[in-house]
Amino acid sequence: MDEEPERAKRWEGGYERTWEILKEDESGSLKATVEEILFQAKRKRVFESHGQVRLGMMRHLYVVIDTSRTMEDQDLKPNRLTSTLKLVEYFVEEYFDQNPISQVGIITTKNKRAEKLTDLAGNPKKHIDALKKAKDSTCGGEPSLYNSLSLAMQTLKHMPGHSSREVLIIFSSLTTCDPANIYELVKTLKALKIRVSVIGLSAEVRVCTVLTRETGGSYHVILDESHFRELLMFHVKPPPATSSSECSLIRMGFPQHTIASISDQDAKPSFSQAHLDSTSGGPGLSMGGYFCPQCQAKYTELPVECKVCGLTLVSAPHLARSFHHLFPLEAFQESPLLLHHTERFCEACQGELKDKSVFTCPSCNSVFCVECDLFIHDTLHCCPSCIHSRSAP
Amino acid sequence: MSAEDEVSLLVIVVDVNPIWWGQQANREPQFTLSKCLDAVMVMGNSHLVMTRTNKLAIIASHCQESHFLYPCKLWKSGDGHGDENASTSGDGKYELLSVANDFIAEEIKNLMSRTEVKGNQTDTLLAGSLAKALCCILSTKMLTGQEMKSRILVVKAAEDCALQYMNFMNVIFAAQKQSILIDACVLDSDSGLLQQACDITGGLYLKIPQKIALAQYLLWVFLPDSDQRSQLVLPPPVHVDYRAACFCHRNLIEIGYVCSVCLSIFCNFSPICTTCETAFKIPLPQVVKSKKKKLKPSTHTCK
Repeated sequence: MDEEPERAKRWEGGYERTWEILKEDESGSLKATVEEILFQAKRKRVFESHGQVRLGMMRHLYVVIDTSRTMEDQDLKPNRLTSTLKLVEYFVEEYFDQNPISQVGIITTKNKRAEKLTDLAGNPKKHIDALKKAKDSTCGGEPSLYNSLSLAMQTLKHMPGHSSREVLIIFSSLTTCDPANIYELVKTLKALKIRVSVIGLSAEVRVCTVLTRETGGSYHVILDESHFRELLMFHVKPPPATSSSECSLIRMGFPQHTIASISDQDAKPSFSQAHLDSTSGGPGLSMGGYFCPQCQAKYTELPVECKVCGLTLVSAPHLARSFHHLFPLEAFQESPLLLHHTERFCEACQGELKDKSVFTCPSCNSVFCVECDLFIHDTLHCCPSCIHSRSAP
Repeated sequence: MSAEDEVSLLVIVVDVNPIWWGQQANREPQFTLSKCLDAVMVMGNSHLVMTRTNKLAIIASHCQESHFLYPCKLWKSGDGHGDENASTSGDGKYELLSVANDFIAEEIKNLMSRTEVKGNQTDTLLAGSLAKALCCILSTKMLTGQEMKSRILVVKAAEDCALQYMNFMNVIFAAQKQSILIDACVLDSDSGLLQQACDITGGLYLKIPQKIALAQYLLWVFLPDSDQRSQLVLPPPVHVDYRAACFCHRNLIEIGYVCSVCLSIFCNFSPICTTCETAFKIPLPQVVKSKKKKLKPSTHTCK
């Protein structure tokens, strides 16, 4: 085991006097301090700009959910399992929003075994349906880190080299039951360049620390439900690509969407290839759809991998969704309101500037209020005043 | 309870590119910018009158800036000349409408006279106006705090600017996330970007055959909100071309090669990506190693 300076544990440090943050003003009210805390909470999103770091845009991620006996604990309401499943549903939606050409698979582990809930797929609906059904399942036994990791590894090792292979484990138990030496498995994972991250629900477990450190992932233990949500959202953004990932040109198809109406003479109803295996009922026949440019197989939704010829089918907006990761927006400079006498209105929303600090874009020097700044950085990803200039970004 | 308290905000983005409108005045003198703004004012008034709690905002999209025609900053801050003009509507018109119309007329006159036009750009920078519209919707949502349905109506005159693709797509995705519809009413040439915007957010796209009848089209097609649209017979959705354009020739392609690092699209295989300059690993065909047979020395022949 290689030596590494271990972080000082929390009980080894000094006292943190958290009550000293609250200060009363002259009239004895805490209003100013509370407002300050709320303002800081709004700005809490630490804007980590990766700068010129290459990102892994095509991701294959397995989410391993621990469904052992400890998930019936009620410290997260109503119990850990329900709360986790709800948050993972939200995570899957956000994940496909930010990474439209990536794939996700879900594995559950209990009773010393691991089983796949859903296979690696690019369609969020399947995963969300499976997660909703899993709410009724029972928890029992002990989880097995070894089995779940080897199950994930079996699929991930066949994935192409240019994509990033990741596993995210939501681990609530303090024990694991493994059939073989897990440190050997950690060495294999490292050789296959699979990055494993863990979110702990109970406490820090040493084997998880070693696992994440060796494979290059992150390990956090949650404090409460909102912290859990934050930690999950942290994994939505594409991670920096490892230096060993290959860059290649991937062949993709961009099918046209044909909308045929019944009154059209030439329109023929046809089956979608994706529905051939599904047992979810419904006739499956539809008039329009996306036809693969190579083999003319029909699909109702994109992105999908053609089952007949193996071509990845996407549409241009899917790729465009990921562009903001490649050209991230700079953080705006915060400055107190008193310095800005001339501007009284936010450039973007035309509202009066009421908060105690305003944000200035470094390239065009326009002034924005707190909410617009948050919206611009979280959702819009471009400065409203800068895009008025004609120069290409 | 619910129907009366629901606030519906309509933001109208009008393209006032002076070069296009100037050329238009020469082509068809009966339809000028003032007629277009009259039609937009009729639409805005109708929206305000539909329900007491409806709100309106109008943005003019000029060459280098976007300006809010309504609501006016000076009016909101209270130190404008609004008070004197407020009671001058002598014909019994609802005061809110007459004040709004006056402000819009005043603002557009100021905007067109004070802005200098540089060069001869005949395309509009719509992405910036849409971004400001989104921020305005968001801040109104924060202020009222109630359930709010909003939509954006774009009245577009000039052509698209191709440089704006990425910003435009960012704006469209942000609108989709906030469930804001984008409708488009196109006067002259078809716009691929707006067609995509309407398709992705669920709005309506219409290219008007007769510009003089703009007010009719606005009231017939774009006035009802999204709940009522399912019960009306409206123009059918257009076929949107979602094929990607390759970065080297700008042709639309059906099968292409995508760089895994920067996601740029190429029509032909090349060893280096021109955008991010990464060298690609060329996939070689797999060589099957044949088993080496042990040669007996007697069968070895030399040529």
